[in-house]
Amino acid sequence: MSLNALFGIGTNALATFQQALSVTGQNISNVNTPGHSRQEIILSETQPQNSRPGQVGTGVEAEQIRRSVDTFVEQQLQNSHERLGQFGATRSALNQIEPFFADSNDLGVGAAMNEFFSAWQDVANNPTDLTGRTVLLSKAAVLTGRFNQAAVQLADQREALDGQVRQGITDINGLADQVADLNVQIKFAEVSGQQANDLRDQRGRLLNQLAELIDISTLEDSTGQVNVFIGNGQSLVAGHTTYDLSGVSNSSNGGLVDVMYDAGSGATTPLQSVITGGRLKGLLDSRDTIIPSLQTTLDTLAAQLVSQINTQHQAGYGLDGSTAQAFFSSGGTTAAKMSVALTDRNKIAASSTAAGVPGNNVNALAITTLQTTAVAGLGNTTFQAYYSAAAGSFGATLQSAERDLSAQEIIHQQLEAHRAEVSGVSLDEELVNLLKYQRAFQVASKLITTSDEMLQTILSIKR
Amino acid sequence: MRVADQQIYGTLLGNLQRSRLQIMDAQEQISSQKKVQRPSDDPMAFGEIVLDKSALSRTEQWIRNISFGQSRIDAADKAVSQAQDLVTRIRELTIQGSSDTTSAQGRTAIAQEVRQLQRQLLQIANTEVAGQFIFSGTETDVRPYSSTSGDTVAYAGNSETQAVAVGENQTVQILIPGNSIFSGATTNVFDTVRDLLTALEGNDRSGVQAALGSLDQATAQLSDAQGTIGGLGNRLQVTKDALDTATLTISRAISDNQDADLATAITQLRMQEVAVEAASQAFTRIFDQTLLNYLR
Repeated sequence: MSLNALFGIGTNALATFQQALSVTGQNISNVNTPGHSRQEIILSETQPQNSRPGQVGTGVEAEQIRRSVDTFVEQQLQNSHERLGQFGATRSALNQIEPFFADSNDLGVGAAMNEFFSAWQDVANNPTDLTGRTVLLSKAAVLTGRFNQAAVQLADQREALDGQVRQGITDINGLADQVADLNVQIKFAEVSGQQANDLRDQRGRLLNQLAELIDISTLEDSTGQVNVFIGNGQSLVAGHTTYDLSGVSNSSNGGLVDVMYDAGSGATTPLQSVITGGRLKGLLDSRDTIIPSLQTTLDTLAAQLVSQINTQHQAGYGLDGSTAQAFFSSGGTTAAKMSVALTDRNKIAASSTAAGVPGNNVNALAITTLQTTAVAGLGNTTFQAYYSAAAGSFGATLQSAERDLSAQEIIHQQLEAHRAEVSGVSLDEELVNLLKYQRAFQVASKLITTSDEMLQTILSIKR
Repeated sequence: MRVADQQIYGTLLGNLQRSRLQIMDAQEQISSQKKVQRPSDDPMAFGEIVLDKSALSRTEQWIRNISFGQSRIDAADKAVSQAQDLVTRIRELTIQGSSDTTSAQGRTAIAQEVRQLQRQLLQIANTEVAGQFIFSGTETDVRPYSSTSGDTVAYAGNSETQAVAVGENQTVQILIPGNSIFSGATTNVFDTVRDLLTALEGNDRSGVQAALGSLDQATAQLSDAQGTIGGLGNRLQVTKDALDTATLTISRAISDNQDADLATAITQLRMQEVAVEAASQAFTRIFDQTLLNYLR
């Protein structure tokens, strides 16, 4: 056992503690970095030397810089990101069309229907009064206006969601490329025996971003590369290769894009139906299911209003003796196209007979009773009940999206806390490590000074 | 269990945000005074509000219809009662005219007064409300009675009536054609008066006496009409009272579903404010708890 060996032990210790302090430093500096996993230096004794009476130690070395991570929690977090993405997208998509149901402020379709039928009653009260007739025509215009406006809003919202779907596809492709790049870097680092801790953290972050966009499953291979699958097993990232998604305009869906998967021979695999989570799921559901169903409801309501009112109106006589006049344009049987056909208030057919003009109001009364008549085309409900059910069902969809989202946010927060418990940096802990390794560093340098003094002592014997 | 700094800040931040969200919600309720503004606030309640608002709108419209009807019925009631008075006066004059002691000259003088009364009666039968004749059936733009030749008065309206809606499938008639009041099935008041005038001016005492009988029939016919009109007015009033009550009930139902309970909202606001305050204080305390403070 030479004095040089003692020097060696001291130098090793200095280097090792310095490294330990760097790890501590890395942890402290990344205390607020999202996705950062706490690193820990694993120290071990170096190989001892045989000696008498027994083996003598040769010092310390850093065996490994370990990344503290619980793969189970990471997996759950990834799933949670998928749900957050999905619920968040649904909620904000529906939130934007909710103002359409402005009935609590008397600005919705329901309120417009009430005013329309009230105006008919005023005409029935006083069939000869031209003011009442003018009011009726303007209330009818308000009603058709509400329908038109709602139709435009819903169509616009679908377009906007389509834009977000396209953006989502671009983002997914970009993230997939970055994951593949990191796969390569990690593979090269780890094949030479390194632990690519920080690169793995980065990749984990990217995978979470990806999960927020689309539901993914991941599988790490023996070289540390992660393979990412989407839909029902389509490979998005395989080692260093990526497969692209693309948005293909679908003419039977108003030119909105279908999400297609390109397995290498063109974007031909439809993916839409097998996407089960992430923002894309929320966007596609809102764009292709929830909003279209609302559109259908409004169109049905508009069509029934037009046909019921017109049928009754055509049976009556206007002040000018006109009959068989359409009140609403008979071609406008969708919410978008609904419009008032009558422009001449004298043609409003309040009378049921030609002879009864101007005071006969029987036809106007018949029209007012349509307000409370169950309509077969609306599933045997009244106009108002049909509209109310649609508003209720839309509200329930949005409410459950909101509730799902806030529940998921709480779950997500708990998962983040779980993750922090394993992977988060505790400044107290790091402070203790800082002191621990600093002291050790100080004493290790003392070891070198002592060895040096011993060497001086030996050297001085010669003199 | 390890406690990482992220956990402490994350939990605090999450709780703070949730409290702030509830504060915002409570503030919105307080400022708008509504707890259900959007379908997603309470889908069930929103659906009910839409239906109740429709019911309220209908009920309020029925009340409007009744007010409109009442103006017509009141005008008709007033007119018929004035007509009654006129016929009563004509009857008095007829009795005078049928007396033995009345001379031919006297009868001519009576006839003059009767002619005056006839003109008033004609005016009443042509009563207008807001430019519309109320006794010409549904031909409201046609003057119902006008003299054709001499003292003969003809009816130009029709026999149709008009009704207004006063409830679900309920209507009340608000128009009574003149030909069931003045020139009705039983007797024609104007014909009676015309015949009376002829008799008076022709000094025909028995003719005058005959008119007396017809006048009694006319009075009965007017009373009948007045009874009908009174009945309609009464129905309108009774229905209106019921609708007023219904309006209150529906308004209350809407309010129950839609309006914010201020006391609850304010309490909730205070509670959440306290929660935010507490969380904020906890936040400042965290700084005191670091090990760093003890390592100087």
